[in-house]
Amino acid sequence: MSDVSPLEAEVAKLIVRTLTLKLDPAQIQPEEPLFGDGLGLDSIDALELSLAIFQSYGHQIRSDDPDIVATFASLRSLCQSIEKHRMK
Amino acid sequence: MNRAALLGLYHADRVLAWENGRSMTYGRFLSDVEALADQLPEKPTVINLADDRYRFLVGFAAALVRGQTTLLPPSRAPGALAQIAREYGNSYCLVDGTQHVDPLPSYQIPKGTGSPTDTAKVPQIPIDHPAIVAFTSGSTGSPHPHFKTWGSLVAVARSTGVRLGIKTSDQMTVVATVPHQHMYGLEASIMLPMQHGMAFHTGRPLFPEDVRSALAEVPSPRMLVTTPLHIRACVTTRSRLPPVECIVSATAPLASSLAKEAETLFQTRVYEVYGFTEAGSLATRRTVAEDTWQVLDGITLHQESAGCSLRAPYFREPVFFPDLVSLQGPHRFVLHGRGTDLVNIGGHRGSLRDLSQKLNEIEGVQDGVFFLPDETGTAVTRLIAFVVAPDKAAEHIVSALRTVIDPVFLPRPLYLVPHLPRNETGKLTREALRELLHGLQNKERHGT
Repeated sequence: MSDVSPLEAEVAKLIVRTLTLKLDPAQIQPEEPLFGDGLGLDSIDALELSLAIFQSYGHQIRSDDPDIVATFASLRSLCQSIEKHRMK
Repeated sequence: MNRAALLGLYHADRVLAWENGRSMTYGRFLSDVEALADQLPEKPTVINLADDRYRFLVGFAAALVRGQTTLLPPSRAPGALAQIAREYGNSYCLVDGTQHVDPLPSYQIPKGTGSPTDTAKVPQIPIDHPAIVAFTSGSTGSPHPHFKTWGSLVAVARSTGVRLGIKTSDQMTVVATVPHQHMYGLEASIMLPMQHGMAFHTGRPLFPEDVRSALAEVPSPRMLVTTPLHIRACVTTRSRLPPVECIVSATAPLASSLAKEAETLFQTRVYEVYGFTEAGSLATRRTVAEDTWQVLDGITLHQESAGCSLRAPYFREPVFFPDLVSLQGPHRFVLHGRGTDLVNIGGHRGSLRDLSQKLNEIEGVQDGVFFLPDETGTAVTRLIAFVVAPDKAAEHIVSALRTVIDPVFLPRPLYLVPHLPRNETGKLTREALRELLHGLQNKERHGT
């Protein structure tokens, strides 16, 4: 898929592996909602995913970040947040 | 009639709740409760959906004052709430936002307009009043209610506080990552503070940074009420938590290696609390120091022909363990593992039988079963479902499930299979399902 950035492809794999989703990472649409109606992830997933992101990129997600809702909105926005805050 | 006070100790000026660095005192709390109690409708039961811990407590206390019973729905899934609303049709909802359960009337819990009164009297609640109803999954598919008397909630809160060494003079503050609408959260983040003159943080932090800042917002000494998952998150991120007097963990087994890391890293004591809906919190252990669990004062253990049971002055009859335990005298036991039917995923309890039944009620599903795979110890173990549904897509079945079960129980993944490995008597053994899973996983690995 040409409209998926390398980081997006990498994080999609991380999501599928961390949350044991039965899904081809390429099936995650970059703009699709991750939580609720989209992939249907919940707060336990958010916590697991935040840990995996911390371990891979050194970025710590927090709820009182004004961008928190945007961060988890989609794969694309999550990657933008990682790009902005990553330490490794 | 015997009564027990709403509060274990009352000083009007003492802080009960912290919200964004602002404090709410016990005095203001009592006037908020009094004001709300006057406005509540004349109904026997209430579903309290407030997300804010302080407002939840004001609603809970006002209901107690009015002699009403608070229902704790097993989940927030719309289907689960609708079922409770159908079965307890003469209920109303207490909310602090836009929550709503059709067709029940909703009442807002005000944001606290009451001004503290020095002359406020602490309400005395009859000990045999059914304060709450907690639900477990019943074998018939409808949730099975468990009535908890006010006296039993108070007894558990008092004995838990004694066990944890809490003194009312400490004025400890609880920060909790668990929801107050579940038994453990209600006991540890609402009842425990109320009965020991403690305070709590009104929020519910999720990420390690949230936990750190919530702890930083409240004064020392602090207690963190949480789960193994949150502890692992804080340890993994090497979170710089402010000094924490003790951490209390429940809902899933805590590895002693993780407890040890947390004790060292955060210079604290880590306790586990064990309980289940039918009995409430019933035993504790200091995870790094002991393998056995010690029951709370007032509870005794008994070996009976039907299994191991618990007795306490506040149980009407002996309560049996749903999990596998062996007794070491009347006050200590070893926990060997979960029962085969009850599962606990991230603090939400469910019955595999009940979940499977809901799965089989979905149109197009010919046969189906939920399965808890062996724990790997790395992440929260999620349920798996095997389903026979020739004309349906897995996504279709998952979205149908989403309307009737708590999202934490949604299968990860759901496998469509031609048939289930039932034995000659029609039974599905754990062994057969484990083999089926291995086969499917091998297939996936080899890409066939």
